[in-house]
Amino acid sequence: MFRTLKPFEYFEPKTIEEATETLSKYGTKAKAYAAGVDLVPRMRKRQIHPKYMVNIQQIKGLDAIKENAEGLSIGALSSLRSIELSPLVKKNYMVLSEAIHSIASIQVKTQGTAVGNLCVATPASDVAPALFVLDAKFRVAAPSVEKTVPIENFYTGVGQTVLQTNEIITEILLPKLPAKTGGAFLKLVRTVADIAKVNAAATLTITDDTCKEVRIAVGSVAPTVFRAKKAEGMLKGQKLDQKLIEKAAETAAGEAKPITDLRSTAEYRKETTRVLVKRVLEKALERAKA
Amino acid sequence: MKKEIINFTINGTPYEVAVEPQMTLNEVLREQLDLTGTKFSCGAGECGACTVLIEGKPMLSCCTLAITAKDKNILTIEGLAKGGELHPIQKAFIEHGAIQCGFCTPGMILTAKALLDENPNPTREEVKAYLAGNLCRCTGYVKIIDAVLAAAKEMNEGGK
Amino acid sequence: MSQELTCVGKRITQKDVVLKATGEARYVPDVRLPGMLWGKVLHSPYPHAKIKKIDKSKAEKLSGVATVITVEDTPKILWARSFRDMPMAPSGALQHADEYILADKARYVGDPIAAVAAVDEKTAEEALDLIEVEYEQLPFVLDPFEAVKPGAPLMHDYAKNNIAVHLTPPPFLVKGNVEKGFTESDVVVEEKFFASKQVACQMETQSCVTSVDSSGKVTCYSPCQLAHPFRRELGKMFNIPVGKINVVNPFVGGSFGCRLSCHNEPICIALAMKVHKPVKLVYSKEEDFTTIDTRTPHYYTVKMGFKEDGTLNAMTVDVTTWAGGYLSRAQLAGGITLIWALGHYHCPNMNGSCDVIYTNTTVAGAGRGFGNPAIMWGVEEVVDMAAEKLGMDPVEIRLKNTKHTGEMANMGLPIESSYIDDCIGEGAKAIGWNEKLGKNKGGKGTLKRGVGMATMTHCSGAWPLLIEHSNAFIKFNEDGTADLTVNPGSPGTHIWGTLSQIAAEELGIPAEDIYIVTGETDKTMFDLGSHASRSTYVTGNAVLEAARQAKRQLLERAGKMLSESPDDLDIKDRQIYVKSNPEKKTSVADVCFQSIWNLKGESLNISGKSSWASHYNSIPTAAYFAEVEVDTETGEVKVLNFITAVDCGKAINPMTVEGQCEGGVQQGIGYGLTEDYVINKNTGAVESDNFTTYKMPGTMDMPENTKIIIIDKPDPKGPFGAKGVGEPGLVGIAPAIGNAIHDAIGVWIKDLPATPEKILKALKEKSG
Repeated sequence: MFRTLKPFEYFEPKTIEEATETLSKYGTKAKAYAAGVDLVPRMRKRQIHPKYMVNIQQIKGLDAIKENAEGLSIGALSSLRSIELSPLVKKNYMVLSEAIHSIASIQVKTQGTAVGNLCVATPASDVAPALFVLDAKFRVAAPSVEKTVPIENFYTGVGQTVLQTNEIITEILLPKLPAKTGGAFLKLVRTVADIAKVNAAATLTITDDTCKEVRIAVGSVAPTVFRAKKAEGMLKGQKLDQKLIEKAAETAAGEAKPITDLRSTAEYRKETTRVLVKRVLEKALERAKA
Repeated sequence: MKKEIINFTINGTPYEVAVEPQMTLNEVLREQLDLTGTKFSCGAGECGACTVLIEGKPMLSCCTLAITAKDKNILTIEGLAKGGELHPIQKAFIEHGAIQCGFCTPGMILTAKALLDENPNPTREEVKAYLAGNLCRCTGYVKIIDAVLAAAKEMNEGGK
Repeated sequence: MSQELTCVGKRITQKDVVLKATGEARYVPDVRLPGMLWGKVLHSPYPHAKIKKIDKSKAEKLSGVATVITVEDTPKILWARSFRDMPMAPSGALQHADEYILADKARYVGDPIAAVAAVDEKTAEEALDLIEVEYEQLPFVLDPFEAVKPGAPLMHDYAKNNIAVHLTPPPFLVKGNVEKGFTESDVVVEEKFFASKQVACQMETQSCVTSVDSSGKVTCYSPCQLAHPFRRELGKMFNIPVGKINVVNPFVGGSFGCRLSCHNEPICIALAMKVHKPVKLVYSKEEDFTTIDTRTPHYYTVKMGFKEDGTLNAMTVDVTTWAGGYLSRAQLAGGITLIWALGHYHCPNMNGSCDVIYTNTTVAGAGRGFGNPAIMWGVEEVVDMAAEKLGMDPVEIRLKNTKHTGEMANMGLPIESSYIDDCIGEGAKAIGWNEKLGKNKGGKGTLKRGVGMATMTHCSGAWPLLIEHSNAFIKFNEDGTADLTVNPGSPGTHIWGTLSQIAAEELGIPAEDIYIVTGETDKTMFDLGSHASRSTYVTGNAVLEAARQAKRQLLERAGKMLSESPDDLDIKDRQIYVKSNPEKKTSVADVCFQSIWNLKGESLNISGKSSWASHYNSIPTAAYFAEVEVDTETGEVKVLNFITAVDCGKAINPMTVEGQCEGGVQQGIGYGLTEDYVINKNTGAVESDNFTTYKMPGTMDMPENTKIIIIDKPDPKGPFGAKGVGEPGLVGIAPAIGNAIHDAIGVWIKDLPATPEKILKALKEKSG
């Protein structure tokens, strides 16, 4: 109903310490601002009312994407588009590039960050399932503390994460993937430029035809994006064939707890979770073999 | 709320404006600087009508706090024609019937410019993909895509 | 049309388009007046509630707030947002006045309750939070079938059982004996359908800027489509002479029917009158989605009986129109579905009915095509169902039943021209109908492909249901250029270019020599405005007639100068020449100059004026062909190819015609597949209130190939043979897609939009 934003006090820290200290000071009344693409519309809709805005864009060195001994580090201010197009991501973590590719708006991807997308903690995030199956960790900064949080422990509910009000993610860390690993991401939408009704990502590592490692993540069908562990359990250590993949997909659908909302129905989401999981597994397998 | 003086360059001209922190770039361009070529439509980052180029990149002015754009170079639709000479993309939009009501046009043209700066020779599919965040209710996009491809050809052949 | 055309039929760009490319074009939200305040509206959060008390004192005390108004501060005169006093021929029926400027009782979530004017938009928005409204919530009803039940909460005192009106088809569409007709049919198909509440999604939200000066002059910048009728309604509403009101249409960011009604303009005017300062009121997208007219939704049953050879023998259409909290144009949109449906094909036995029902929902009004896209969704699906039962090709069954030139058209007048069979033939060829129908050609695995078609007949204006009156005035300038004054409104349809081409063609000068004067009721004579695919046809004929008169004056003057009879002269390329001796000539410019700066005192500003009323209605026809791919595991539909073959008479500007039809494909894909207006059943609130929640197609949702085939055969009554094309661009798009879905996967989707959820469910039911 509104077009303008409610007033707030504005801060522009130059360092991570300064940022987390400011956030500490104002607690739940403060918000970190990285891009605005998500935050500003929610403020306009009066869904959130930050009284203090902490713009972290001026903190140096948070926008790098670089390889390191453990794998890949993606700085918190890296735009979605820079991640999508990064040769390093494309080469080793195709599933992430694919997930971001599914976000259609160039403007949203140019302006928006992956970390911003994650922190909204929408179950419909396209980035999150990819990071789940890549076993990502987040480097989190709080005043005078730094810690690492695995994505699996990150979400606690719709719109909720383990992040305290004075903590910010500074980096996404992706471990190296073993050889013979393939990944894939798919989503269902109403129009191409849309958030997911259902999305799914998988990575598979194989030796010969046997599944050494598998991760399946599904979005938009539960309060948070989640790993379909029962389905993974059916595949791990097994010789992969179409029948088994279909059974695992069926199991993954059983793990989903979808709701009916204006984007889709619970029934449809359950049914297509099976279809998407089957398809990402097939595609991941094909890529692992290649 | 306290105002802050910020500077930025818009269409090559330096500006000094006093902004309240909650003002969006869209609001400052339209209401303070009367640059109403930049439109406001959905206010939700979904339609692309408010697109401007910040440091050459397509951004949503309705989702950007003006204060975060300080010291930046901003291009709005008003800055695209040079000395009365239309940009090839503007010409192509006019000649190919890509403009009907025209409300999405500034955002479309600026997004197209970002595309052609990035990729001077896009395929039809690449044009469609790049404009996926710009909604239009009049044209069915057909002539918009035609126009962008024609502009690319013109710009390449014109050696610009 | 023996002579060669020099302007008509050419792909000429309308002059002002350049302003849209440079950002110079100012739309209502871009208008800024000195000393202007910002308005903001408080809307009801409840679908049905008594307003017991409004305390505006806190809001009024907020620094920067100039005024807060409620219904008590406005003239308490009931008005109709779709305008009273537009006499509908032949019945003379009027729109029911059922609304105040601000609500006396909330009848839907979003109903305007109070309004604020303040120094800036932020302050106006802040003030809303300080207005304290005491509501008494009343039982509410969202569903039209529930609304008519005894004991249902009533919306308006006059409407018993919430039925605003019960309509029957016009007498010329009640024929024979339907009972007998069905009995004597070999195949009878009867199905129920739902055509949804599509939102116009015009990019510019509803906006208004109004100033009221000390003489009482009201200048209202509005994007409305019908400026002159709107002015008259405002005069009645505020009890002021229409001469004191100037309705200004600057550039308009799309309409598609939603701006046939006025929305926040009366509120803006009331604010401006109260504060004696200009006020600007710009709705947010959410306000747009919840408070301005949507396309009217209908629940309806189509029953059609066919003879063995495919001849249509009997047909009934029974419609329940879902109106919303106020009537707007739902009454007309409901009634006219009967005309579109029953008037399209030959049929000896037919009848129908329509109930228009109030509910506590957002108001339904006009949408591009005005009921035709809604009803043809069902009619064309039933035709395909019958074809399947008869073992006939959908093309063949339609060709068997189409109407032709000279027969009676949907509006009860003779068909001036119809090339619908050409549309069907050309479209079928272009899509590859015979190679693709029923063959899943190119389908792989879970992806099934199919083709489908639909047809329609529409109108060029609303005569004889409504007067179709336009005026045009052409005056020549000293240099031979001409100013053409018209006011049909231009929500982006390039009508000014089209009218320039018509005038220029008749006058023998290039279209670039015509300058359009328009956009203000003060400066222009009456024009009904932009609706019903009328402007090219009705305003176009007015322009043609005015041009003829101006030409006559030009030739008379030239005749004197050349000592020739005007009858022996003609004009081409700005030159007036003797037909039998083309070397003997003078220029239009010279004649114009010498007429104005006439030393003999025979001064004349060469001009022509026409008051034009249509007394006929040339129907545009079209055939639509879709090729789709359906994923049987996810229910997703991709439209691969779309062909529209349109008979809009002579295309004055083919680029404009293509643009209208290509745009129609986007709206039709949305209507058919993705656009879903969701109302929360528990609260009555609109959940799909922005582009994030209500999805219209973007670039990536469009077909790989969209092709517009213009049949381009002149109509005898249209200007240079032109018929309307604005709405035909949309009408049959969704129906063709629906039929293509059936060809691909064998299920019929009867409720719009055909979402993957519905498709997957239908597939499951089919496979048991």
